[in-house]
Amino acid sequence: MRSHRFSRRTFFRGAGVTMALPWLESVPVWGDDTRLPASEPPVRLAVLFSGNGFHTDEWWAKGAGREMELGKVLAPLSEFREKMYFFNGLYNEEALKGNIHSSQTGNLLSGAPLAAGGEIRSGTSFDQIVAQRYGQSTKVPSLVLACERANPGIHKNYSMLYSSHISWSSPTSPSPLELYPALAFDRLFGDGAERGDKSVLDAVLTEANRFRGQVSSSDRRTLDEYLASVREVEQRIDRAGKKGELQGWRPAIGKPSMKRPADGIPQDLGEHMRLMCDIAVLAFQTDSTRVCTLKLNNDHSYLRFPHLQVDDVGHHELSHRNNADFLKVNQFFLGQFAYIARKLEATREGGRTLLENSMLLYCSSMRSGRHDAKNLPAVLLGRAGGKLHGSGVVDYSAKPNRQMCRLYLSLLGKCGLAMKQFGDATEPLLEL
Amino acid sequence: MKPRSAFGILLASSLCAAAHAQPRGDFSALATGYATGAHPLLRQFCHNCHSAAARAGNLDLTRFATLSDVRSAAKTWVKVSEVLGQGEMPPKGAPQPSPEQRTRLREWIGQYLRAEAWANAGDPGPVNLRRLNNAEYTYTVQDLTGAPLYPAREFPADSAAGEGFTNAGNALPMSPALFGKYLDAGKELAAHAVLLPDGFRFSRHATRRDWTDEILAEIRGLYSQYTSASELGVGDAVGNVNVHRDTRLGQAGRIPLDRYFAALLAERAALRAGRKTAAQVARQYGLSERYLARLWTALNDPARSPVFDELRLRWRASGPTGAESMAATVAAMQKGLWVFAPVGLIGRQGGPKQWMEAVSPLVAEQEIRYRIAPDTGRDTVLWLSLGSAGDGAEGDIAILDRPRLVATGAPDILLRGHAEATGLDPKLFADGDSLTLRAPAVLKITLPDRLAAGLEFVTTVRLDGKAGREGSIQVNLTTAASAPAAGLLPSEVSVNYSKVTQVFSDKRDLSFVRPILVNEGSAARRRMEASMEAFRDLFPAAVCYPQIVPVDEVLTLTLFHREDGHLTRLLAGEAQRARLDRLWEELHFVSQSPLHQLTALEMLIETFEGNGVADRSQHKAIEPLREPTRQRAEAFRRHLVEAEAKQLDALAAFAGRAYRRPVTAAESSELRELYQRLRAQDLSHEDAFRRTLARVFVASPFLYRIEKVPETGSSAPVSDWELATRLSYFLWSSEPDEELKAAAAKGMLRRPAALRAQARRMLADARVRRLATEFASQWLHIHEFDTQGDKSGKYFPGFVDLRGDMYEESIRFFTDLFQRDGSLIDLLDARHTFLNERMAAFYGLKPNGAGWRRYDGVRAAGRGGILGFAATLAKQSGASRTSPILRGNWVSEVLLGEKLPRPPKEVPQLPADETATEGLTMRELVTRHTSEPMCAACHQKIDPFGYALEGFDAIGRRRTHDLAGRPVDTRTTLPDGREIDGIDGLRQYLLKTRFDEFLRQFCRKLLGYAAGREVQLSDEPLLAEMKTSLARNHYRSSVLIDMIVESRQFREIRGDEASRQAAQRR
Repeated sequence: MRSHRFSRRTFFRGAGVTMALPWLESVPVWGDDTRLPASEPPVRLAVLFSGNGFHTDEWWAKGAGREMELGKVLAPLSEFREKMYFFNGLYNEEALKGNIHSSQTGNLLSGAPLAAGGEIRSGTSFDQIVAQRYGQSTKVPSLVLACERANPGIHKNYSMLYSSHISWSSPTSPSPLELYPALAFDRLFGDGAERGDKSVLDAVLTEANRFRGQVSSSDRRTLDEYLASVREVEQRIDRAGKKGELQGWRPAIGKPSMKRPADGIPQDLGEHMRLMCDIAVLAFQTDSTRVCTLKLNNDHSYLRFPHLQVDDVGHHELSHRNNADFLKVNQFFLGQFAYIARKLEATREGGRTLLENSMLLYCSSMRSGRHDAKNLPAVLLGRAGGKLHGSGVVDYSAKPNRQMCRLYLSLLGKCGLAMKQFGDATEPLLEL
Repeated sequence: MKPRSAFGILLASSLCAAAHAQPRGDFSALATGYATGAHPLLRQFCHNCHSAAARAGNLDLTRFATLSDVRSAAKTWVKVSEVLGQGEMPPKGAPQPSPEQRTRLREWIGQYLRAEAWANAGDPGPVNLRRLNNAEYTYTVQDLTGAPLYPAREFPADSAAGEGFTNAGNALPMSPALFGKYLDAGKELAAHAVLLPDGFRFSRHATRRDWTDEILAEIRGLYSQYTSASELGVGDAVGNVNVHRDTRLGQAGRIPLDRYFAALLAERAALRAGRKTAAQVARQYGLSERYLARLWTALNDPARSPVFDELRLRWRASGPTGAESMAATVAAMQKGLWVFAPVGLIGRQGGPKQWMEAVSPLVAEQEIRYRIAPDTGRDTVLWLSLGSAGDGAEGDIAILDRPRLVATGAPDILLRGHAEATGLDPKLFADGDSLTLRAPAVLKITLPDRLAAGLEFVTTVRLDGKAGREGSIQVNLTTAASAPAAGLLPSEVSVNYSKVTQVFSDKRDLSFVRPILVNEGSAARRRMEASMEAFRDLFPAAVCYPQIVPVDEVLTLTLFHREDGHLTRLLAGEAQRARLDRLWEELHFVSQSPLHQLTALEMLIETFEGNGVADRSQHKAIEPLREPTRQRAEAFRRHLVEAEAKQLDALAAFAGRAYRRPVTAAESSELRELYQRLRAQDLSHEDAFRRTLARVFVASPFLYRIEKVPETGSSAPVSDWELATRLSYFLWSSEPDEELKAAAAKGMLRRPAALRAQARRMLADARVRRLATEFASQWLHIHEFDTQGDKSGKYFPGFVDLRGDMYEESIRFFTDLFQRDGSLIDLLDARHTFLNERMAAFYGLKPNGAGWRRYDGVRAAGRGGILGFAATLAKQSGASRTSPILRGNWVSEVLLGEKLPRPPKEVPQLPADETATEGLTMRELVTRHTSEPMCAACHQKIDPFGYALEGFDAIGRRRTHDLAGRPVDTRTTLPDGREIDGIDGLRQYLLKTRFDEFLRQFCRKLLGYAAGREVQLSDEPLLAEMKTSLARNHYRSSVLIDMIVESRQFREIRGDEASRQAAQRR
């Protein structure tokens, strides 16, 4: 029974998953083929991120439902007020311990402590926990998209890898960012596998296994990461070869409804982001993946916005200005979020819309350009396949137990992963 | 078990020697010191907050009850020492130790850390298995393939760890998505492999068409080394066969004779006097040695020869400027000695044998014709001259057969009957209607209008059968008075194809202007023929068919036509001849031309057969091609199959290069097994080969720098191959080259002198630019500066175009420093830099020539060393303003390695634009900003450095006023009260007062880069030794490199047991 639920592959993954296993084992989970009613569409999870926070005066919400009032940054979301939660006062304790910027992002979705100095260590992010549990069911376990390339170097004793990655597939491995719309598209729809690929992968697996016995125990862990990656690609080839196995429920769209984007990164930032959003939506519509993170920019971002006539400074400096231009850029970011939500809302899936079958989280590493990480901005859209009912402001600023990870525990639960603990949280948010 | 090398022992003992100089710690004394001195102080002043319960700053100091507890967490005590040193702890408001107590505590911690450092000195440290980062992967692929390929273009960007470099193993994770990219990249690389008869190589291209063009270009390149380039003219139709006239006439592929003659004329005296050899002259003028020598001999040959005489005459008579007329003489003569044919006709029935064929303009008789216009209204005068063809007049007795006027439909008018009217001497008609003349002679013939209008003058000239048996003459008909030529007149041949069809011509007529008349079978003819042969031998009209592909012909089955026999015979050296043969072999192999040719021929034959009887003649014409083409294709197929085994051998050898060590027999046979498995899946040889090649590019021993763990458990030297790899990735960010591998194979790298020699050789190599790019620019935080664009387009519109040049300056500076083993003092104190014209102008210097050059004396322009790089100054600025804080912090952290406490959160912000500052300068604003008490302590340390650099704007341009037009102030007071002014003041301060720290920081960073990890406590003895050694050796950069590559850290790897023990020490 258990061996049925947990594939051999799961055990090859990084330490992050083996840590998650005990909780997984103890609960019946959604997505388990023996329990899930085959006619139910799955819950999709998307996390959008932008760095450096928002305008100090214009990130707020009041009330609930249709009467909900929104600050100007959130104006693009007003049509979704009845399916929206606004969170106030949650934070990650560990993010307060390190430096500004570089140690506020790498653990945003895990709440894990970040190693300083030359080391790289965070925690498996909650989106990747979901991907690792359900990834086998879809062509791609998760999409990790970005519109700004990772920052190199080290900032104040913390690798800037931290400020560029929110998704971590293991505590030592940030999920690589896909910046190219065409390549993201290919991952979803390209029939990448060619005759003979499996033999090639088998050969390098055999070879790497031989070296496992000859290297130090720490190097062996690195080789295991390689082995797990090769196996994953191999399995993907297997999955690509098997089609039409789905019973009952079918995705809204069978084939991609857009043409493959041009190679390279679009010159126009707006176009780049729009394409990435389209691909995320298409991934959900076709059920090619159920988990997607989209990093619109880095924390400590150098991105500029010539298409908004905001061209004289990069995003990081802009956040310190906290002016009308910054507000314009904030709204542009939230506009992407609304764009995804709108497209999902327009897609019917079973008795609901695809937005109602999804959870879309928007978050940032700090409240504003003042590096304040003790009140993380977060907005959630969607109904999680009917598991979310309310709407409005969830305010913890004056309450105890303000762990951001409580929100993640809730979202994991809605995905069917009822875990007893995640990061520094031991209970989900009661409001959800 | 690995034998411990002599080197290791040697180094260890030298370390011991140094250890004696620096007393090793006595841990039992330290234990007592802790119990009686340090621990009570900690209890009194620290334990209150740093307790197991409170854990302030995440630190519990109560768990360190004894020295052995302390020793289990040495890293924590490094931190404690830093915090105490900065006076941060105990915090304000808490009870403070007395100065004496503070000193006692710091001294004990210092002694302990020194002892701990020495106890583990040389520890290789925890080095994570290193995957090639994007830069290393790209460099390695480029070195392996020799092709400018960028397979990592679309990889995720690298991150940094360790000492801040992207080559640290723990910053290089692997994931399915990334592996997927490697797999794609591996296949892409394999698609660039060009299969060859005896192996394979890589090309920048990935299609057969492009590979073919590449080879063609190289062949043409070789050809053009020896021939004058000539643009081919417009096509010229010969029947249906369209031929470039110029190709046909050999305008292309000619020897540049004017250059040869010019060289010989200019150096004639020197050659005659033996001051120079022909070979020397050839080298001096860039000409073929062989050919120049031959020309020299031929020109100076005293023998007479009708064909050569004119040229030799000019040679003897010409001054230094006679080259062109000499060349013209040869060219004129060639026009009668060679013909060119359409390549497409070669091999067909009635077709030519080759593109350029020899002809001799020798005839037994020559018909002379001249048509008189009907309406000239005046008499026509013709001058018929008979020359003796340059070989004397003996036997030159000619007969002009029945000179006459011919009209259609009327009887011929014999001139004999009109001797008076034509002015011909009747005595010449001794033999009836024909004339007899002895050359040299000129015959003036007047043709009266009333007699000749609209008719044609005709006669046939030949030598008299008896008296003229051994004669030789040349006839020339002109309408102006002329004298017979003294020498041989150049003939001119023309070709006429009659009945040219789609595929063949059944008849080709040659005709000559000014042929030479000699009798068949005469000795005169043989002499003339020999003389022409000698001339052709030395002066082929063309030496190669440079077009190679006869695309200008309507129908040809020939894909590539090789005709370069004269080039290889006369001009090319041994190596070039071999190269040409090789290239032609590759051309046919790569293009698979024999197979294509057969297909084309079969299609053609099928077409004709389908057309029935009408095309039977065409069919017949190409039938002779059928069998040889088929045989060639068959042979080629066999050749392809034979090549397969050799290609697989080459693939196994390639895997060894990719793995940076010889492959084992097992690995080699695994590769072949994979290939066989793929073939069994119905993949063609080529597909299976490429897939097997892609496998090498995604293999763990290629992507990772795998190093075997010592079986002993303790730290031990890495193998020779592993050391070679460490060395080459350190200095070149790429695989070891052949020479380094040869040294590794011989076990040479275990000898310090040989290791040093390799490092020196590698430092001098151009590839050391990668060390400059990967190490130096990452250290200075300007890595990939050329792609970073956060500058205001409003204030700095030129920045985007200039940033690549700014980056290049810094890379060239470091490349040069490493290459010429420069002094590390130059990093700060250089008086030179490297600039192109644009950068020179940007710095306000007068450009001194085109392209990148070294500029000396750049101090006057405020430059010299890393402080003055536009790239570093711009990087540490805002988009629209300078940032004294960023620049100051950069000097403090990056250059001096100072560790400052973290800035507090919730700090007030500065405006982003230096013009919008309410009348204050950036400096005034920063001063106001940082004078707040919570900021002042640190900012007093860093800001003054930044103020000193205020003389440069946000893109590193020198300035005296800011963007709002206010003067900038570059005078500043350092924390120690010292006053400095501007970049020069800062430079002097760093050199005189802080050089030790600067040097230590550079050593630390380079060591961290080399080792791929953070520098740790046990590296301190090495760092200390570096400092002393550098000071003794004029701070030469090679001293540092030597010490790193000879260190245990660099040469050894931790065993598992050593790692376990180290983990306990953390």
